[in-house]
Amino acid sequence: MSEITVAPVAAKKLLDFAIDGVAMQAEDGQTVIQAARANGVDIPHFCWHPQLSVPGNCRICMVEIEQDSGDPWFDIACNMPVTAGMRVLTKSEKIKTLNQDTMQFITLNHPVDCGVCNKSGECLLQDYHYELNGAASKSRDPKTHATKFFPLSDRIILDNERCIMCTLCVRFTNEVSGSKALGAVHRGDHALIRPAEDADFNLDVYSDNVIDLCPVGALLSTELMTHARVWYLQATKSVCPGCERGCSIDVWHRKHEWKLNALDPQLNTTIDRVTPHDNPEVNGLWVCNKARDLAQLFERPRAEQAMQHGAPVELAVAIAAAAQLIAAAKKPVAMVSSWGSNEELAACHAAFGTKVSGFVKADHLPRPGEVIEDHLLIKPDKNPNRKAALALYPALPERVSDALPADTDVVLVWGEGFDSALVPSGAKVIRLDSYTHAANATADVFIPISVQTERSGHYTNFAGVVTPFEACFPVKPSIVHAATLFAALSTGSDA
Amino acid sequence: MTGLVQRLIPEFEVWKRRYPAGFDGSLSIPALRRIQEERGYIADEDITDLTAYLGVPRTQIDEVVAFYTQFTRVPLGKHHLQVCHNVSCSLRGAEGLVKHLCGRLGIKPGETTADGQFTLTTVECLASCGTAPMMMVGDAFFENLTPASVDALLTELQETP
Amino acid sequence: MNFPVTDTSHTLAEYRTRFGYQALEKALSMAPGDVTKEVAGAGLLGHGGAAFPAGRKWGVVKLDDGEPHYVCMNADEGEPGTFKDRWLMECVPHMSLEGLIIGSYALQGRHAFIYIRGEFDLAHRRMADAIEEAYTAGLLGENILGTGYSLDVVLYRGAGSYVCGEASAMLASLEGKKGWPRNRPPRLTVKGLYQKPTVVNNVETLANVPVILRLGAAEFKKTGTPKSPGTQMISISGHIAKPGVYEIEYGYSWEKFIYEDCGGMQNGKALKCIIPGGVSTKLLSASEIAGVTLDHNSAVAAGSQVGSGGMIAIAEGTCMVRLAAVIQRFYHHESCGQCTPCRQGMGWMERILNRIVAGGGRPEDIDQLYKIGEANDGTTICSLGDSAGYACSAILDHYRDEFEYYIQNGRSMYDGNLTVEDPFADSPFANSLAGAAS
Repeated sequence: MSEITVAPVAAKKLLDFAIDGVAMQAEDGQTVIQAARANGVDIPHFCWHPQLSVPGNCRICMVEIEQDSGDPWFDIACNMPVTAGMRVLTKSEKIKTLNQDTMQFITLNHPVDCGVCNKSGECLLQDYHYELNGAASKSRDPKTHATKFFPLSDRIILDNERCIMCTLCVRFTNEVSGSKALGAVHRGDHALIRPAEDADFNLDVYSDNVIDLCPVGALLSTELMTHARVWYLQATKSVCPGCERGCSIDVWHRKHEWKLNALDPQLNTTIDRVTPHDNPEVNGLWVCNKARDLAQLFERPRAEQAMQHGAPVELAVAIAAAAQLIAAAKKPVAMVSSWGSNEELAACHAAFGTKVSGFVKADHLPRPGEVIEDHLLIKPDKNPNRKAALALYPALPERVSDALPADTDVVLVWGEGFDSALVPSGAKVIRLDSYTHAANATADVFIPISVQTERSGHYTNFAGVVTPFEACFPVKPSIVHAATLFAALSTGSDA
Repeated sequence: MTGLVQRLIPEFEVWKRRYPAGFDGSLSIPALRRIQEERGYIADEDITDLTAYLGVPRTQIDEVVAFYTQFTRVPLGKHHLQVCHNVSCSLRGAEGLVKHLCGRLGIKPGETTADGQFTLTTVECLASCGTAPMMMVGDAFFENLTPASVDALLTELQETP
Repeated sequence: MNFPVTDTSHTLAEYRTRFGYQALEKALSMAPGDVTKEVAGAGLLGHGGAAFPAGRKWGVVKLDDGEPHYVCMNADEGEPGTFKDRWLMECVPHMSLEGLIIGSYALQGRHAFIYIRGEFDLAHRRMADAIEEAYTAGLLGENILGTGYSLDVVLYRGAGSYVCGEASAMLASLEGKKGWPRNRPPRLTVKGLYQKPTVVNNVETLANVPVILRLGAAEFKKTGTPKSPGTQMISISGHIAKPGVYEIEYGYSWEKFIYEDCGGMQNGKALKCIIPGGVSTKLLSASEIAGVTLDHNSAVAAGSQVGSGGMIAIAEGTCMVRLAAVIQRFYHHESCGQCTPCRQGMGWMERILNRIVAGGGRPEDIDQLYKIGEANDGTTICSLGDSAGYACSAILDHYRDEFEYYIQNGRSMYDGNLTVEDPFADSPFANSLAGAAS
């Protein structure tokens, strides 16, 4: 995943086969479920996953193979290699009966507490119940019980009654994250998913992927449980700014028609959850927990008021003041944000040309205890767009004073991560930031700018892959988009 | 690593010599049996130490100890009475045998006597169907049981130092 | 003819007086492929319950694939009613050991395994002693009998799990993990123990191998029937007058075996039904075994199977409803929990049967039991689920009236009786409720 290599792929032998009478082709070596998926046919499955080992335990993917001899042959599609001429039936009477039986079994001791379960609305048990069963339970005996709220970690709650023992979570920790933190103990219908007794699942920075993987409401985010039902939310495609990999994500937030009648409008512009967005070029199907916690990042106290020397002023006044300072400056220097989007960086460069010397800073450094780099997704640079910025400006030198000689008269600080004490005495400071910082009040001019979720744009990741993000929320009138701002501050000199 | 597993490693190393290379994980079950033989149960530290010695994921050992009925995480009575209650034994009086033991010992299956002498469990087929009803005490089979032979056995076990 | 079981019948010295290890010597002088051909030619069928041709299984393994090959003796006898492998290991451990060594030679394996029930302490010690005797005598280890072939045998003890008798679960257990069976493909003969080609054979199957090598396939086929050559060890128990381990030639009369050799039922009672080969085989009523011979085809034609050779005789007056509940309790206890139909179905069946036994049965329960069995038929990872279905539906097929009576009246047609002679009838606690819900 860390390099993009384009290697010539040897042509695979193709096999002709059919599903429900429709002719199609499979690659030699594919299983029926893989070949079906490649041809746009979705065979129901709980435990199968295209990127994990095949346990074949849920049994919902059973298909029938039509044979000339007439003898019935049925088996799970996830472990059945396609053979030439195979005639697969997914909706025969036998399979319909088996599917119904499997659903009866799998919900036999299920608490069916959809009313209070946060998976409701995106739960495969619900979907397949309607699609494949539709009947009430045939059992007349009390359901068995198990642990309802087992803290798998600080972030994840496990409900053993809802668990269908598909082992997706176990296989994920064995085969993808490598923490090997989860296992299945005991036997039969007493079997339980449990963390290894010495494992702290909190230490697995990919832990929350099991929440997405879980097809039912057994693994739920403790955070989201108090937020919203999934049908109140919509997903907007975005990019995680947590490091230079720039994983593709979906940011979930309230749909307009489900907005809360709340006194505080802020409640309708919250990030309710973040899930990975499948991007084979960048992050595949996974994200690390930092992406999950983006709400914490984006919902820090916002700077919403333009200021001059700490006194509130109208936005237009502040912009005019800043433009004046730059126009009059003899040696202006800009601390360029590595969180600026490709568009904002281009606007900055176009606006200032050669008049303003720019240096790219690292807005964010790794926090204490944060994973610097690993085998999977995490990269050391904790800024989403340094590569694009460095294409336009040099990096800020180790000795910052090399970039800020004594005769610097205006310093434009764009974004976070710059210590104002490094500004040469006598220089004016223009600060552009989204969040409240003490330095905002001491700047000569302070202009609040929008955050990623309030605009569209692109980031370029460490490997040069350009990925778009879209706006989730409206921007307040007192806050300006950096790109618009730069145009207004333009010196008119050549780029 | 301290204690029991450390002490048993020389034995485990001897066992390893019969296995093909790369089969270290296989030693988990025999090692756990040996540990339980010494301690009477599997302690938390045993699992930690064994995981380190074998180089297997911790979950493997956790799962094995929980999956197999012969491993216990808690100490049992001095004598573990395991009575088969499967088909052939039931056809030859296993239910009466269980009742008799419950009556004599004053406990129910799954329990241990207050003096810590006897734990009673019902188990599945021990391949002793031809000599039913029967039970396993520790590792030893006692077959063709009657009230008299059970009472004599209990007395004998009670008197074992 | 009785096998002379003495304090020393299990030793190497005594085994030698019964042609012991002559077959191994002969096998080592043959090409490995020819050993397999001999076993295949003898038509030896597996004795663990599936009756798969042993020679064909061996023949799948490619000797020149550059991979290690493992032969694993399945000594995890756990099928209720079966105790013949235990007998073989306690009394004549060298027979199956010699078969294991010959099989390993045929498959050019360097290591072989014996997976034995954790509960079989005596059999384990006897087998361990036999292995050490073999090493000392140069029949195991480096350069066996100076032929250049080397083999190490690992005796591996299980720890209490019926499902580990299933070959793929056994191999998972041998890898030091929980005994979860695996889906096929791939077959174990292609990817088995640690993903290497592995052959799993039952104790009795391997015990037949020295006989085949010594006498030759043609001679071996003179016993038994054309489709079932050789003999079957039968362990019979239940209400039979003379329980124990018997060896019968395939084709032997079933009724003769029950009524003459085994003395009929206790107290001269009439036979109600027979479970032929472990509880996972369908029971046959007394009339259904009339004229039937003990061999694979005949058992199948009669509606059941030879199975594991664990025969259970049940006399008139036994409550089949209670018996069904005992059997289902077993399957529920042993389900590994991996796949949906068995994990949920076993408990469901037990709960229904317990409810009927407790007097709370409902008319729809019978059909529901059938339905659960059907839903486990061919849909599970291993055959534990299927077996529970077969066992229960066979009882229902034959004794539906008992279930209907129990459901309608809230009590058993036979007072819940399971015994003919109950040694604990005289216990002072015979009528207590203590331990009633065991």
